[in-house]
Amino acid sequence: MTRQANAIDFWRGFALVSIFINHIPGVFYERLTHRNFSISDSAELFVFLAGWSLGLLVGSRTQPMTAPRLVARLGGRALTIYAAQILISSIALAILASSAYTFDNPLILEWHNAAAVFQDPALTHIGLVLLTHQLGYFDILPLYVVLMLAAPLIALIDKFARPLLVPLSLALYFASLTVPFTARTWPVPGQWFFNPFTWQVIFVLGFAMSRDEGLGAVVRRNIDLVRMISLPIVVITAVLVWFNWFPDPTKLPEPKLLFLNGKSFLTPMRLIQFLALAAVFSASYPYFAPWVPWLTEFLSSLGRNSLNVFCVASLLSLVGQVVRYLYTGSLLADTIVVVCGIGLLWLTAWVSEWRDRQRAAG
Amino acid sequence: MGVRMERSTKGSRLIVGRLCLGALGLAAVLIQGAWAQAPSAKPESTPEPSAVAPEASAVAKDCGEPKVAVTPLPNSALALQKHQKIKILAIGSSAAAVLGMMHDGNPPLLEQILERNIKGLDVEIINRGFSGELAEAASERLKLEVALNEPNLVLWQVGANDAFAQVPVESFERSVVGTVRWLKEHNVDVILVGLHYMKQLAKNEHYQAIRTSLQRITAAESVQRVTRYEAMEVLARTLRESGRPEPRDFGLTEDGYNCMAQYVARAITVGLFAKPAKHAPQPAPTR
Repeated sequence: MTRQANAIDFWRGFALVSIFINHIPGVFYERLTHRNFSISDSAELFVFLAGWSLGLLVGSRTQPMTAPRLVARLGGRALTIYAAQILISSIALAILASSAYTFDNPLILEWHNAAAVFQDPALTHIGLVLLTHQLGYFDILPLYVVLMLAAPLIALIDKFARPLLVPLSLALYFASLTVPFTARTWPVPGQWFFNPFTWQVIFVLGFAMSRDEGLGAVVRRNIDLVRMISLPIVVITAVLVWFNWFPDPTKLPEPKLLFLNGKSFLTPMRLIQFLALAAVFSASYPYFAPWVPWLTEFLSSLGRNSLNVFCVASLLSLVGQVVRYLYTGSLLADTIVVVCGIGLLWLTAWVSEWRDRQRAAG
Repeated sequence: MGVRMERSTKGSRLIVGRLCLGALGLAAVLIQGAWAQAPSAKPESTPEPSAVAPEASAVAKDCGEPKVAVTPLPNSALALQKHQKIKILAIGSSAAAVLGMMHDGNPPLLEQILERNIKGLDVEIINRGFSGELAEAASERLKLEVALNEPNLVLWQVGANDAFAQVPVESFERSVVGTVRWLKEHNVDVILVGLHYMKQLAKNEHYQAIRTSLQRITAAESVQRVTRYEAMEVLARTLRESGRPEPRDFGLTEDGYNCMAQYVARAITVGLFAKPAKHAPQPAPTR
């Protein structure tokens, strides 16, 4: 039975469409996504809602899951996401290789960190399997895999020592920012684009806020106050982003990562702005859901099938880049790419749900 | 291992081409090694920035002949003078295309060449290349990385993604010029690594417009540009004229990447030993 449209699925669908558009660099419609007036972007929303979904997956405290079942269920989910990452990376490499071949342009093989795969395949394939080599724009699922591998621990801490969960997460977050440390890439030396030690905090916060007790309960009880504090943050940061009024990063005090606007480390500026944005915009759903039901249902269907839709969106973004290259990025080409892409995302969601219905019936 | 663009029906030509490439690469390594080991090629341990660039910075013949303008790298030269480590921040879409191929945890080839060729030079390469990034996004991230890592020199591979993404030339130019000026204001040297030569793209208007824009920027802002397009173009022509098969994807083979590392090494070496221009501001004593 397909679940009803709801706010979580709706915003997840919104994040997926934004990610699809933002992952086609230079496309006209990226000027319309919320990152143009927000410090944080759809990546924060996606990971926060992944944490929220974990909370729903784990179940309520009144109907607890046994620890072994919890570990098995979450481990299985991590494995599914890992398999999805390996699959889309392989397809992405095939898209790059076939485009290079078809359009007689070997430079396409250099796109998105793919050069190492073609030049040093033995080591780089090991890196792909270990997630230490990630293609550009295919780097959020590795973070998700790590977070889902940590999910049993998160759920168990929540089960047995709930008050410790958020403080522990924040401790790791600030340690990673102040030392600083992150996950390394291999065989090409570098860093993960999404530092899992800092990005875990938004996942844990999403999880904690989905719960009926603890932080989630506190936020829900005081949501009006939270929104009153959040609104000026959202407005002021929108102005800062619009006019690019950010301080010179070299002039900031140490440890700089506490004060910078850095996506890889999910710096506090981004985290606070995202939480404020989420608090403010979460108020809007009950108002416009009845007003634009078709949009609500459309985005919710994407959100309900987020992994499948995300995988297809990532690949379609890459195809979109190739198309833009071939058709010189005209507005018409951009419109066709975005409209067809979003249509295919809807088709992906529809096929996923149709398959589920068939399974349930059979 | 090179990636072949030829169709399978041209398999035999491919094999010959690959053998030629292998031979070229081997020759390049041998020639480079010989240069590196020549005692006369090594500068003294306390070089003056105004000294003549050592011969060791020459590029193996089989890599073509990139034109290297004598553009000083005053901040890096100062670090070298003070026996300090030179920190090089690599930003751009393909690490291999700037630093050379990296194997088995060895330092990047660029680091090896520089340390081997300039006595007393201690180099740390910080690779922060993320693929697919356009100049505008890269310039924002570049500023953060400069704040976090305090490099002496930034190697910025820029242009190809903007060319493929059809970014308007004016917008591209604004991003690059703004960032180059910001780096200068913050006493960080910069070398721009230009676009790749590809015969198929020689008539691509936007690709060529971005390339011309980079030329304009480097001339106007007096920054070093690694002219890999021109070097590869010359190499391709030389091979063609001498009756050898023109390697269509030479620049994207391991040999090609290693040539790139040599071009960059040469640009750095020339910059380290170049006489500072009279009108150029002196680097700040400390960073």
